[in-house]
Amino acid sequence: MSWETVIGLEIHVQLSTDSKLFSGGSTSFGAEPNTHVDLIDLGLPGVLPVANRGAFHKAIRFGLATNAKINQTSTFDRKNYFYPDLPKGYQITQMALPIVGKGSIKIEVDGEEKIINITRAHLEEDAGKSIHDLFDGETGVDLNRAGTPLLEIVSEPEIANAREAVAYFKAIRQIVTFLDICDGNMAQGSMRCDVNVSVKKSDDTELGTRAEIKNINSFKFIEKAINFEIDRQIRILESGDSVVQETRLYDSVKNETRSMRSKEEANDYRYFPCPDLLPVVISDNELKEIKDNLPELPDEKEKRYVEELNLDLSEAKIIASSKTMASMFEGACAKTNDSKLVANWLVGDISALLNKENIDIDESNLTSDNFAKLIERISDKTISGKIAKSVLEEIWETSNDVDEIIESKGLVQIQDESLLETIAQTVIDNNPSQVDAFKGGKDKLFGFFVGQVMKETQGKANPQSVNKILKRLLS
Amino acid sequence: MSIQYKSIAELKTMLNNNEISNAELIKETFSLVKSNAEINAFITLNDEESINKANKLDDCPSSGSLAGIPIAQKDLFCTKDLKTTCGSNMLSNFIPPYSATVVKNLENAGCISIGKTNMDEFAMGSSNETSFYGKVQNPWGKNLVPGGSSGGAAAAVAAGIVPAASGTDTGGSIRQPASLCGVTGIKPTYGRISRWGMIAFASSLDQAGPIARTAEDCATLLNEMCSHDEKDTTSLNEDIPDFTENLNSPINGLKIGIVKEFDLSKLDNEVVKVFEESKKHYESLGAEFIEISLPNISLSVPTYYVVAPAECSSNLSRFDGVKFGKRCESPKNLEELYIKTRSEGFGDEVKRRILIGSYVLSAGFYDAYYKKAQQVRRLIKNDFDSAFKSVDIIMSPTTRGPAFEVGSKGDDPIQMYLEDLFTIPANLAGLPAMSIPNGIIDNKPIGLQLIGNFLDESRLLQAAHNFQISTDWHLKTPTGIKS
Amino acid sequence: MDKKTVSTIAYLSRLSLNEQNEDKITKDLENIIKFVDQLNTANTENIEPLASPLEKTAKTRSDNVSAKNRKEVFLERSPKSNEDYFLVPRVVE
Repeated sequence: MSWETVIGLEIHVQLSTDSKLFSGGSTSFGAEPNTHVDLIDLGLPGVLPVANRGAFHKAIRFGLATNAKINQTSTFDRKNYFYPDLPKGYQITQMALPIVGKGSIKIEVDGEEKIINITRAHLEEDAGKSIHDLFDGETGVDLNRAGTPLLEIVSEPEIANAREAVAYFKAIRQIVTFLDICDGNMAQGSMRCDVNVSVKKSDDTELGTRAEIKNINSFKFIEKAINFEIDRQIRILESGDSVVQETRLYDSVKNETRSMRSKEEANDYRYFPCPDLLPVVISDNELKEIKDNLPELPDEKEKRYVEELNLDLSEAKIIASSKTMASMFEGACAKTNDSKLVANWLVGDISALLNKENIDIDESNLTSDNFAKLIERISDKTISGKIAKSVLEEIWETSNDVDEIIESKGLVQIQDESLLETIAQTVIDNNPSQVDAFKGGKDKLFGFFVGQVMKETQGKANPQSVNKILKRLLS
Repeated sequence: MSIQYKSIAELKTMLNNNEISNAELIKETFSLVKSNAEINAFITLNDEESINKANKLDDCPSSGSLAGIPIAQKDLFCTKDLKTTCGSNMLSNFIPPYSATVVKNLENAGCISIGKTNMDEFAMGSSNETSFYGKVQNPWGKNLVPGGSSGGAAAAVAAGIVPAASGTDTGGSIRQPASLCGVTGIKPTYGRISRWGMIAFASSLDQAGPIARTAEDCATLLNEMCSHDEKDTTSLNEDIPDFTENLNSPINGLKIGIVKEFDLSKLDNEVVKVFEESKKHYESLGAEFIEISLPNISLSVPTYYVVAPAECSSNLSRFDGVKFGKRCESPKNLEELYIKTRSEGFGDEVKRRILIGSYVLSAGFYDAYYKKAQQVRRLIKNDFDSAFKSVDIIMSPTTRGPAFEVGSKGDDPIQMYLEDLFTIPANLAGLPAMSIPNGIIDNKPIGLQLIGNFLDESRLLQAAHNFQISTDWHLKTPTGIKS
Repeated sequence: MDKKTVSTIAYLSRLSLNEQNEDKITKDLENIIKFVDQLNTANTENIEPLASPLEKTAKTRSDNVSAKNRKEVFLERSPKSNEDYFLVPRVVE
């Protein structure tokens, strides 16, 4: 009889609206503390919330992409608790009637597909930030983030292990970035998740007591935290004790979860309908417009790349899996007819560089524009494929512009066939024994001549022309 | 010429006829404030700015409908750069960086906000005894309460210091003090007046409104106070009529409902007598009385005392010593910051209501109390909807009796809660309601309540005005009938 | 109403009860709750709770940034702050 793990994830996605959920305060990241705070965000006496329709539209996109029920009438509730970065002493959320109902998403682990059902996705406002370590004996409160719209996505407890959890989180991240509703920037806290973990014996019908691990914002930590927690719970149960239902934090330094210091009673949030906000209704027309304008999702891109752009399935999968890579691909394809060329670069050299440095394409120095230009210069034969590799390496290090690099390093391809012919002839004249050997049957020596011409031209000769000319001269 | 007890209409005439300048009017107003200091109607005075404004008006007259008229603002409305306390210690140092929409509306019409009136703390109370800034005296008697929570506002008008004041009404806080002070006040339909800048007590019940000497003045004020405000999504987007338009139209055939379940036999004989005489008077004006039934009305007060505390317990959570308002001395930790700040900052009645509110919303009790109360609230609203199919307005006494003595409600909060028996239902249903003076008992005034259908303020004001042009109760002052 | 309930409610509301007021408050709460228990006499089967007296739906706003930077105005009104942050006693998680 073995242990089974039951995991549910609550993922908080920061929606990429310009303004906050209930005020005209700006949501942009990185501003000086307390400079993006509106009267409403501060919770001053007498202020009132007004809902941001853009946030609803983004939430609905998520619902449509996950085949979820859209509640065209949804309401807001208040969740009451005290914390310094919660200015009103309550959070406005959607408890009773969320904008998005039941849906589902497909995940892939080790080549196996699994459907994870999503219970609901609702809108709520984010809290501000409490800064604990900067001030002697005090905590500083920055309310810039207070009021930013969040979409809280709640999965059914159908996730069986840490790897599935990571796959699910990645799948959600992929969808929200492709839908253009969240920038997916984990480092900036655009996506955070709470994980509910419990274990039970495989023949038990009842679920075990769960612990909630709060606020994890990296794939690596999700996996580690879950695995630690599973072990912890199994050890407890095997020793005859019971698991306490509580909230825990993951300590990445010690690689352990520990109980959060909070009183039990503090968990009664006394939800009730927010009397300042009337029900929000999304019309059929609005819904249709959102549906019609839904951005293309990875699955759809993959299909299109294979069917219309002649990519292999494996190439299509890699490129379609990342929003940045997909848009780079599409941007560069506009500069050439050769989609395979573009794909090769992305799947080949560029992916290799990403893997070597263990970074995502968003974190590299390669911009969409620069990549498109690189492809253009290969297509219009300004540079050869080989030279392009060195240009790419330069961009990777310096993020300099393609044309600037080509010019400053004098990399323009030599196309002039008469010049190339002259050089080729010189090479032939200077290497009579190799010529004899080649003409005598040593075909491999052809590469030697090509190499010599390349050496003479610092690699800038157009390879196709060189081949053509040498073939002719050596025949 | 004395300005004491003058109505807005009278002061406008005086100003237009140059019988008094704007500066003189404001100066005299502040004199009256001073000579009536013991009433304690004001928490903060806005003298410097008021005099400046008045001087400017003398130089450059304005055509606003309230140009130069001194008005007292209830200290629950945020006034930019002018201290706003809500009658509480918690906000004793609060200077709002913005003004309430209703204050802006009145000032845009030209009025001069001369000061902030005393009130029951955070609008919780019916006697102005819970204010951190001391009790307010009813101008009709030193020992008498003026009513609440807009006690200071009603007293300021009743003492003739100002012709009008802004008030707020959540369970009767405009009408009840108007009744006990012998002045006129109206709470319009929920949503008529923007709540932006109105410090929230119970968001689904709170509504602002004017207190003045006459229904006519109330209509003038209402014209300016009402607006659709994008910043308040609960503010109505309906057309705002000119509330002064039909005041004088006669009320022949007006159908007035008398609520069967308001068992008036439980009231003092004197009170019943006053009410019956008003009924007779309305009959003489051509109105017809019809008995109506509001079967769930007896549950209004318990409904209110679940819903209002629930909403207020949440609305008052923002007072935590972190961002504005008072903070306790040297808190050792976060818990102490919250608990000490709030325990020191709030008075007993506020604390009681917060606790009740937290209780009725807590897990395990929500369905039995809060949800139940919301359901009963719908029943009460439905009762009104049915009743208004057969009557135009509903009439009752505003209060169970005239002003009571300070401290006479004793230690039992429920005794105080029952003061709002007649006024609470209109708040639960979101309907407009007003109080007009209709009698004097032992030299203490008492009021008549008129409740109207949704958006039907004009009819209420018309009925009230017709009464006032044919009676003189509203002309009585603590010092006799005014000249 | 037992002591534990009252102290839980008081903690949820961040209000302190001391020897002087604890008994009175408990008694007041008991009386008020007894008073509102009358609500049970109403038949509310199938009645939809009324959250707002308005029979209408929300007006929303379009996604525009309209707020200006009011940091100084806010911080100067706060009980304790430095030039950038509101300050509270150190919070331990």
